Amino acid sequence: MKYDLIIIGGGPAGISAGIYIARLGVNALLITKEFGGQIGKKAVDIENYPGFSKISGPDLIKKMEEHLKSNKIDIEMNEVLRVEKRDENFVVLTKTKKEFEATSIIFASGADPRPLEVPGEKEYIGKGVSYCALCDGPIFANKTVAVIGGGNAGFETAIFLSKIVKKIYILEFGSEIKAFESNQKLVNQTGKAEIITNVKLKEIHGKDFVEYVTYEDKETKEEKSVEVQGVFVEVGYMPATSYAKGLVNFNERDEIKVKPETCETSTPGIFAAGDMNEGVFKQVVTAAGEGAKTALAAHNYIQRLKSK
Amino acid sequence: MAKVKVYSTPSCPYCVTLKEYLKDNNIAFEGVDVSQDKVQLDDMIKKSGQMGVPVVDIDGEIIIGFDKIKIANLLNIKD
Repeated sequence: MKYDLIIIGGGPAGISAGIYIARLGVNALLITKEFGGQIGKKAVDIENYPGFSKISGPDLIKKMEEHLKSNKIDIEMNEVLRVEKRDENFVVLTKTKKEFEATSIIFASGADPRPLEVPGEKEYIGKGVSYCALCDGPIFANKTVAVIGGGNAGFETAIFLSKIVKKIYILEFGSEIKAFESNQKLVNQTGKAEIITNVKLKEIHGKDFVEYVTYEDKETKEEKSVEVQGVFVEVGYMPATSYAKGLVNFNERDEIKVKPETCETSTPGIFAAGDMNEGVFKQVVTAAGEGAKTALAAHNYIQRLKSK
Repeated sequence: MAKVKVYSTPSCPYCVTLKEYLKDNNIAFEGVDVSQDKVQLDDMIKKSGQMGVPVVDIDGEIIIGFDKIKIANLLNIKD
């Protein structure tokens, strides 16, 4: 099946692009492995999306998904493995070996959690190591856990976990905490968190499940350890761009380079919205805004080709 | 018909997607909220070796995470 446009991604950027493009009457397909991405797994409520003074990530994305589905657009729940240029068109290949062709593409698949890259991490995924506190947190009732990363995401994760677990260690690589004052205050109020800075994580240890982590105290160079049953990783995100390699230009942070006015990439016909591109501010509302921008720009592009 | 049991937590987005997928394909299943049921949680950890959700038990076969391809194969769901 040949489409005018394929949107890859089901977060705020992709959904917003989908709503705009469907309303423009463009023959379009949206491919995503899930709806929501990062905000579907956000541990605390969203309080800065206009129209909602306070809403949970999963609830907001549910509303966005329903809004999208009330429009006329094809949806394929699938994982994209590769995008190729074939003659004048683009071909999207999925994990289940399906192929979809389109004149134009919007990349909007966001970012994935950045791994720690220490020994034991991969081995203990699902055995104590988690990248989704919202999903797995409830399994750690009355246990001791570590949150790796002392930024806002780490502190928000600790606030969420404090309702469930017995004790939380927040382990931060830097010498000071970068989380907002308000988040630090909330974490202090839980009375369950111990914050340790200057932590260079060495290894995650255990038998069948995680039992403890070892780290170097960067100040004293001493090797130390803390006993934990869970390790929640919150050290940032990296753009989910593997399928786009070789097709568009990237910056040094592996983000797709775009023209700020239209979010056009270096390849005509391909646009990139949200956390995948080099935009500095990674917000739900900016992702949705860029989704709209790319849809309108892609529409112009498709019209131009058709009038030739 | 296959006996399907889904171990999940209420806040887990993948669990919601997984359950919706089963419903869309008219697969009857038993849903267990492991955040509320310690016995079922221990059962899940023992069977799967996992402290993560979702976990699906299809006639004794354990699937970790929302592995759509594996689940579709075991339940004969045509894409």
